Amino acid sequence: MDLLDLIDAVQSVADGVLFGATYALLGIGFTLIFGVMHKLNLSYAAASIGAAYASLLILAGIEAPAIFVFLMAAVAGGVIGGLVYLIAFKFIPLANPLATLMSTVGLLLLIDEIIVHSTAGVPLNYPALFSDVIIPMGPFNLRGDLIFVFALGCVCMVVLLLLLYRTKLGLATRAVSQQPIASELCGISITHVNVLTFVLTGVVGGIAGAMTGAAIGMLSPLLSLPLTVKGLIVTVIGGLGSIPGAIIAGLVVGGLENFFQFFRGVSERDLYIMLLLFAFLIFRPGGIFPTTAGRD
Amino acid sequence: MLDVSDLVTAYGKIEALKGVSLHVESEKITCLLGPNGAGKTTLMMTIAGILQPRRGSIRLGGTELVGLSPARIVARGVALVPENRLVFPQMSVLENLLAGAYQRSDKAEINVDVERMYTRFPHLRERHQQLAGTLSGGEQQMLAVARALMSRPRVLLMDEPSLGLAPLVVAEIFSIISELNRDGTTIFLVEQNAHMALQVAHQFFLMEQGRITFKGTPGQLAEDEVIQRAYLGTRRTAG
Repeated sequence: MDLLDLIDAVQSVADGVLFGATYALLGIGFTLIFGVMHKLNLSYAAASIGAAYASLLILAGIEAPAIFVFLMAAVAGGVIGGLVYLIAFKFIPLANPLATLMSTVGLLLLIDEIIVHSTAGVPLNYPALFSDVIIPMGPFNLRGDLIFVFALGCVCMVVLLLLLYRTKLGLATRAVSQQPIASELCGISITHVNVLTFVLTGVVGGIAGAMTGAAIGMLSPLLSLPLTVKGLIVTVIGGLGSIPGAIIAGLVVGGLENFFQFFRGVSERDLYIMLLLFAFLIFRPGGIFPTTAGRD
Repeated sequence: MLDVSDLVTAYGKIEALKGVSLHVESEKITCLLGPNGAGKTTLMMTIAGILQPRRGSIRLGGTELVGLSPARIVARGVALVPENRLVFPQMSVLENLLAGAYQRSDKAEINVDVERMYTRFPHLRERHQQLAGTLSGGEQQMLAVARALMSRPRVLLMDEPSLGLAPLVVAEIFSIISELNRDGTTIFLVEQNAHMALQVAHQFFLMEQGRITFKGTPGQLAEDEVIQRAYLGTRRTAG
């Protein structure tokens, strides 16, 4: 391998890490809902793409600036998040672990169908910011749109962590995830926290959906399943329930994805990511940051 | 202060409480004794609003508590220190205390109360940044009590605070219980450790198979032959 190839490989991995911020956000969403409800919300990535679609449909015909479209995706994400809770969790018996798994798979398919029917299955162009900016760094070029996506992801994570660790509602959310009965005894309403978590992760998902659209340049109904799988892989590799784990795993998966794509081609890429998942499941099933139980 | 009357709570078809009536007097320590499976924890969980009774009423100074959410019940002035403590393991001691004050919004007063808890439980001050899950069992129990007190309850319910603790720690917990009571807190205590309970409580109830089968003062309790055999493990030698 000569030097030019090496430079290309590093470039490719760097791009992947930047794009990995969207995986990290999706992973955080899965992990937060799992933390609070101990349930997987399989419709999460589809809802995120749905939110990005919604931002396009709502603003159709208006020459809205890209940043406004992203904002609309976040708002739509929050609304969809609340709806997901209402449809797939509120009236479903939570004691049965399979019930919400089924209801969220159903919702995943429903969202996909709605997207396909409202767009006739044709991919839509998605606006990006700074897509014409290229920052040269020695032999490497950093793409402006990817850097923006990465920066937006980081801002999102910081805001989320501040919310969780510096506010009263964050305290309530963590309390419910660690000890639901004691939270109720402290006067925390579990239902309120659940709704709040779904709306909040919905906003994060909407932003992740918009970031995906911006980085790829378009939205397609074919995005939701691979993103669901990537989001879940990131969640498991990071450690179910761990936010720092989801962040690191998201960036790592993003980087490795491009690494394998560069060396083995796009058709084999996901195979290696799956192998990585299996390696984790066998040798480190708790993920990068296993959730440690307390003494009780 | 707290009046429970004809309370029935069931899990499916099985009635765990079969018409329980009792009265917790203001500024006293009332103790509920009973074997495992008698329904003591069910009673506590029902008073706290975690479980819904099938019928009956729970009144706190005239206000009906049945049907209110746990959050409302905390706001009305009932706090439960649950069985097995149930501290938030991944949160610091301080955060646990703040969670206990979740219903309150008087920030300055909350900080005063945190300081008060640190003074009463010096261990908690030393470890205020430590994760609650890393505390010893006794310290977790202190934290659970302090957390419940952070809501400024009118009645403090305690479900087996001595469970799984070393005798020295149990003695410490009980001295804290009587101290709290001297400062004017009404306490309703579930306990299996009858010896310790006898030293602090003013009023006793015995619960067996979902029913109250005895009610009396510590003196009457100590007199009762059956209770002596079952709960104090000593039989008075004849003559």
